[in-house]
Amino acid sequence: MPKTDYIEQLRRRLVDLGCPIARVRRLVQEVTDHREDLKQTALAEGLSGVAAEIHADTLLGNPLDLAEGLAEALRRSSWWGRHSIIGFCVLPLLAVPLLWSLIMFVGLWLVFAFGYALDETRLHVAADNPVVFHHMSMLVHGADCLALALVTLLFCWLARRSGLSFKWTAIACAICSIYALFTWINIVPHSLSLGFSFPPHGSSPWIRLAMPLVTVALVYAFQRRTAHCYRESVAA
Amino acid sequence: MKKTNPIFLNGVPELLVLRLLSRREMYGYQIIEEIRAQTRETLSFGEGCIYPYLHYLEAEKLVSSRRREVDGRSRNYYKLTPRGGKRLDELTTEWKRVTTGISSLMGEQYA
Repeated sequence: MPKTDYIEQLRRRLVDLGCPIARVRRLVQEVTDHREDLKQTALAEGLSGVAAEIHADTLLGNPLDLAEGLAEALRRSSWWGRHSIIGFCVLPLLAVPLLWSLIMFVGLWLVFAFGYALDETRLHVAADNPVVFHHMSMLVHGADCLALALVTLLFCWLARRSGLSFKWTAIACAICSIYALFTWINIVPHSLSLGFSFPPHGSSPWIRLAMPLVTVALVYAFQRRTAHCYRESVAA
Repeated sequence: MKKTNPIFLNGVPELLVLRLLSRREMYGYQIIEEIRAQTRETLSFGEGCIYPYLHYLEAEKLVSSRRREVDGRSRNYYKLTPRGGKRLDELTTEWKRVTTGISSLMGEQYA
């Protein structure tokens, strides 16, 4: 098998298995170096150029099997990769409400601090103004959607860096979506409430449901594009 | 390691790699050749299989790597970290304990 074929097969399989591009570059570089060492040794032993390449490929084994082994090692090297069921099926059930509450709290506190200088009276006066209250409401719902998107992004990032397949990202995202559907946030003048209800209610349950799904779809498109660009840059 | 390695060799690859890297910086191919030569071909890694292993050790911060050019060839060289040194000491102690125990059980003629 010519060098480009062997290395190219390895590279493609690693990308297909969901390895981060930076890791793929490094693995491919190391295997290329190793293959060259094997070839040089074979040449020194008196084999011809073609025979030395075949010998090197035989010793390295099937490139697809090698890629599987490399991807598996990447998964084993992180806690999230070793405990993917806990990390992406169980933990989101606990982490999503906690992270969402934390992000919402920090976001709203920042608005309170910078918009009203932590002055409760100013906040109450502003809430009585319908225009300002409309802006506040928009801001709260925007922060809510942003929090859901950030939580989903966190799980997407953890799955990606652990070299896990997209299945795990999708599972975590589905949990985020279900959670978003049954929780709600409500703002009326002088009062902000968060809650959980079945069946879903609130002003925008379907928008909240869609937020994690849209986020994960964008992440998927981005990953596909990155992999495509990488393949094209290598081919060029 | 080879597919035929028995289950009691779990942890041995780590010990061997860390031991070799405690002596000097090495790259993947060199590590495989050294293991093969120094164990008189009793033990050997499959070609290519060393890299997942080295990356795992690197993720655990037991070894570190850098790109280095030697004799016109650029390669990733691995070296032991202080944490890797401690791990090597632990594994060596454990290995001595196990081999002493096995030797006692097997008797002098097998030692």
